[in-house]
Amino acid sequence: MSDTERNWHSHRDAKAARLANAASLLDGKFAKTKDAKAVLETLLSSGDKVVLEGDNQKQASFLSQTLASVDPAKIHDLHMIMSSVSRPEHLDIFEDGIASKLDFSFAGPQSTRISQMIADGTLKIGDIHTYLELYARLYIDLIPNVVLVAADKVDHEGNLYTGANTEETPVIVESAAFHDGIVIVQANEIVDKVPRVDIPGDWVDVVIPADEPYQLEPLFTRDPQNITELQILMGMMAIRGIYERHNVQSVNHGVGFNTAAIELLLPTYGDQLGLKGKIVPNWEVNPTPTLIPAIESGWIKSIHSFGGEVGMEQYIAARPDIFFVGPDGTMRSNRAFGQMAGQYALDMFVGSTLQIDQYGNSSTVTKGRLSGFGGAPNMGSNPTGRRHSTPAWQSLKPKDDPLGRGQKLVVQMVETFGSNKRPVFVDHLDAEEVQKEAKLANVPIMIYSEDTTHIVTEEGIAYLYKTDSMAERQAAIEAIAGVTPVGMRSTEKELADLRRRGIVALPEDLGVRRTDAKRSLLAAQNMEDLVTWSHGLYNPPAKFRSWS
Amino acid sequence: MRNSFVELHARQRAEALLDAGTGRELIGPLDNMISPQLEPQGIVPESDDGVVIMKGQINGKNVVIAAIEGAFQGGGIGEVSGAKIVSAFEQALADNKAGKTIYPIIILDTGGVRLQEANYGLLSISEIHNIVIALKKYVPVIGLVPGRVGSFGGMSITSALLSYLIGTDRARIGLNGPEVIEQEAGVREFDSSDKNLIWNTLGTKQRLATGIVDEIVDDDVVAFKQAIAAAITAHKDSHRDQKSDFYLTLLDQLDPTAPLDTVGYRKMFAAVQPETHHLAPAQASQTPGTPSRGRLWFEKLTGIQNAQSDVSTVLHAKKDGREYIAIVADEHNRFPRVRHGEVGLVEGFTVASVVNDLVAADKDKAVKTPIIMVVDVPSQAYGYKEELIGIHLSLAASAAAYARARQAGHPVVAFIPGDAVSGGFLAHGLQSNRLIALDDLGITIQAMSKASAARITQRTIAELEEATKHVPAMAYDIENYRKLGALYKLIEGVHSKDANDQAVATVQGVIQHALDSLEDAPTDLSFRYTNPIAVKSGRVATNKVRQMMAEQWPD
Amino acid sequence: MEKLHFTFKATQPITHPVHIGVVASGDLEVIMRPTTGDSELDIVTGSDGFHDVWQHVLERFFDRYPIQAKFEINDFGATPGVVNLRLTQAMEALKDAQ
Repeated sequence: MSDTERNWHSHRDAKAARLANAASLLDGKFAKTKDAKAVLETLLSSGDKVVLEGDNQKQASFLSQTLASVDPAKIHDLHMIMSSVSRPEHLDIFEDGIASKLDFSFAGPQSTRISQMIADGTLKIGDIHTYLELYARLYIDLIPNVVLVAADKVDHEGNLYTGANTEETPVIVESAAFHDGIVIVQANEIVDKVPRVDIPGDWVDVVIPADEPYQLEPLFTRDPQNITELQILMGMMAIRGIYERHNVQSVNHGVGFNTAAIELLLPTYGDQLGLKGKIVPNWEVNPTPTLIPAIESGWIKSIHSFGGEVGMEQYIAARPDIFFVGPDGTMRSNRAFGQMAGQYALDMFVGSTLQIDQYGNSSTVTKGRLSGFGGAPNMGSNPTGRRHSTPAWQSLKPKDDPLGRGQKLVVQMVETFGSNKRPVFVDHLDAEEVQKEAKLANVPIMIYSEDTTHIVTEEGIAYLYKTDSMAERQAAIEAIAGVTPVGMRSTEKELADLRRRGIVALPEDLGVRRTDAKRSLLAAQNMEDLVTWSHGLYNPPAKFRSWS
Repeated sequence: MRNSFVELHARQRAEALLDAGTGRELIGPLDNMISPQLEPQGIVPESDDGVVIMKGQINGKNVVIAAIEGAFQGGGIGEVSGAKIVSAFEQALADNKAGKTIYPIIILDTGGVRLQEANYGLLSISEIHNIVIALKKYVPVIGLVPGRVGSFGGMSITSALLSYLIGTDRARIGLNGPEVIEQEAGVREFDSSDKNLIWNTLGTKQRLATGIVDEIVDDDVVAFKQAIAAAITAHKDSHRDQKSDFYLTLLDQLDPTAPLDTVGYRKMFAAVQPETHHLAPAQASQTPGTPSRGRLWFEKLTGIQNAQSDVSTVLHAKKDGREYIAIVADEHNRFPRVRHGEVGLVEGFTVASVVNDLVAADKDKAVKTPIIMVVDVPSQAYGYKEELIGIHLSLAASAAAYARARQAGHPVVAFIPGDAVSGGFLAHGLQSNRLIALDDLGITIQAMSKASAARITQRTIAELEEATKHVPAMAYDIENYRKLGALYKLIEGVHSKDANDQAVATVQGVIQHALDSLEDAPTDLSFRYTNPIAVKSGRVATNKVRQMMAEQWPD
Repeated sequence: MEKLHFTFKATQPITHPVHIGVVASGDLEVIMRPTTGDSELDIVTGSDGFHDVWQHVLERFFDRYPIQAKFEINDFGATPGVVNLRLTQAMEALKDAQ
């Protein structure tokens, strides 16, 4: 084959042809709202790899609804690439034949249905990923033909303002814009001038004004009213037994009441311990409202975020020393960079889970619910490519290995029984069953035992990184697993031995009194307290309203 | 850090208010006085039944605190918890009458009637209303609404009767919870998922601006204690249950069909110049009114054909020296929510005004005119404007007027030929000291409609109906109601829709019998729990609580 | 709702009755009264089917605190962790009372 016969720009030609077909629907880059379906039917082609933007907070909801309305006779068998399967139409398109294959990361709200559809063969799974892996594959073997994304404001040049919820828009758009994919944007608003350019207009092909703003969920907001005494107890133990002991400087908190409790204990209990200025100045975390008291009382120096949080906009804008805020005065988030930072630059990840097995593997996948991974495994794993050192990382270095190195702290905090009174500690994860049902290549484990360095329960802390064998690791887990079937295997003698060797610590070993775990220790006890702490800058969504 | 009062549970709240070391709990958790109604329905009881009674001192003054535990069954009032409040306050009344001043304080954190004890709850709450009115002649009765549940249902009527009501901005007050209004009147009337609307309407900020609470304090133990002490010292009294002229003037100016929001209502409220209202007796006419059992029996008992009144839903007339009062349906009423005979804003305030007029006229008479209520109230009115203005105030005005009349010596008899449900019954019926009903299974007597009760208690209607089979207080029929001992007489052989001459004569005879029985009888509501059915089976727990309270009360 | 009864061998007498807790969602109340001989527990629980879990929680409690008491527990769906916390708090209250 000679050079003259080979077309080296076939992708570009194909893209140009598709856009030419849509010319009658477009005025420059702009289409009318009512033509959205026709635009998709013209620009999409059966079998395309299509990225539909949507994570656990922000959803390109207008485009997802439009996609679900296209004629399956014209467009079918799309290969969808979606961070999050969140909305009903995300799965409707598979039932209707518009799409047939799915690569995804997280399926929280649709986890039951997706599990059923895989079992029924309605849906073929490529694979389940972490966010970062999915983004990575957009540049290697899942390069998209078309991407469907959402913007807050778009100017007449097609420049996008994505603001506080920039999240994954840049990483998705870039994968298409520089490899002759088509970038289609739904816009909340068309403006003369965007506050700042988050995505340059020349990366954008088509803009469609949406009929209503994209869906945005306040997913990381936890009402302090619902924090329990046990969560406070575990928070106190974690602060003493982990944050303080390992001199942790940088951290990611997963979403949940356990970590919300810690955030609200720092300015009170943490202060009593004299830890202010000594621990956790730097955070990779969504701007959760429960961080406000710690920020206001000077505990926190910097916060980079994966996404925004509804209601926090004004507060963040007024605290540019802490948050990442553009010259226009509004926050910018970036999910891909956030995941990268969370994987490589943090001392510690603190998360929660639904099940932990006898070996210390954990998963949020439970019977019939394929919830996927999101970003937790990026944060909740030890990056073996890491080379820089920090005191906390170094504190986990094995004592007797001359070539040894440090390790990220990966902490799981769970009550031994969930609120449904099912044991969290189990011999075998439900995920093992789900693997068989959904015919997955691997058991969907969120965080592997080998990466898990600490487990905190209301019973105590297991310092798993100190164990020398799997048998010892199991014994440490059993010792803090309460009266779950796993915990019932622990004996008084074993517990005493583990405590003596510092592998397990009970509250009394940490100087924490169970009866001191009171809600009055929380820096904020309800949403209104958070508003007060924020000097009125935090504006909680209506669903959290509980005062007049 | 401030010391949150809202965060505390009932017992801690009572302890926190009292001077250190002065608190003494009466009928406490160790006294084994639990509700006998809950376990048979598969519901876990609480050892104090959700009400803490504590005697002690605030700044050296003797007080008795009744604190309702909002976290247990939504603070619902059942037989035992209700009787604890009533018996404690009766002891306080006796002390005050004897010159031993003791200030009653009630901490409201309650959804009203405990729906699993339905009719017991309704009876108990009416008895609380009675004792609060009686106490106010001697001492202010101070109420706190700290917040979490707030104060709803029949206990919102209690809140309106109190001398002085102190809350935080975390409390809500309303008669019907938003979920119930949505269930009864539709989501367009009140969207129970719209929390901003709920808090802007029912929250204490709006309530302070419109006369429903008297003071908002910070959520702080010391702030509450200071506010209580100041209210006691100043003998504060809002007279919230005696503002019929104010509200009837306001309602004259209200267009029920026009939109009204919180801001609009504040303006309206601030601009009211009260005019006196007196309702003339009903007159005979050529045009029949909207048919109902209440109207039928009112007309038969008074002999007024096609009775008409300036307030179309409130009929009253004197006959043979008795004052008859009925609340009736009016299918064309300008308030859409009262067209089936529900007790609405106008009805409660109007009845109050009629009764107050009668009491004033009889003020110096040795023998007071007997009052006969004709009860056919399917419920109170469920509507957004009703809650915005505060329909609980209207029901409180009516209940208070009847209670004051009775306490002043008027024999008060309720005759039930129709439905007797929920807040409507509390306003018009339950302040009588003799209840007479027809033995007709067409009569519904309950705390809440089945659909709403099922939604609120998170049961199916089938489950609810199953529960009513085993627990008479849960039932919706008059024969089960008799088992509670609440009735003076259940008239057999008379059908509610057939008021023939013989039937009328029978009813008149029973009413006369009831009036005879009231000569030299107590002017309180004690008949309900002292009659043989009540003593033997209907109110066993009530009587046990009363006895224990009497034993434990003396210091 | 389910009613459970347990008996445990105990050796340490208590002098005062104690009450702690509220029957709120996910919570419980505990009453302990002095007794002689074995400890008897009467439990009313809103969560059915947890006899063995209660047995294990109580075994561990009596291993640590073999107190002679008559227990009444009203439980509205508390997790074993919460049960343990309340029992521990009851012991604190007992210490204060004594």
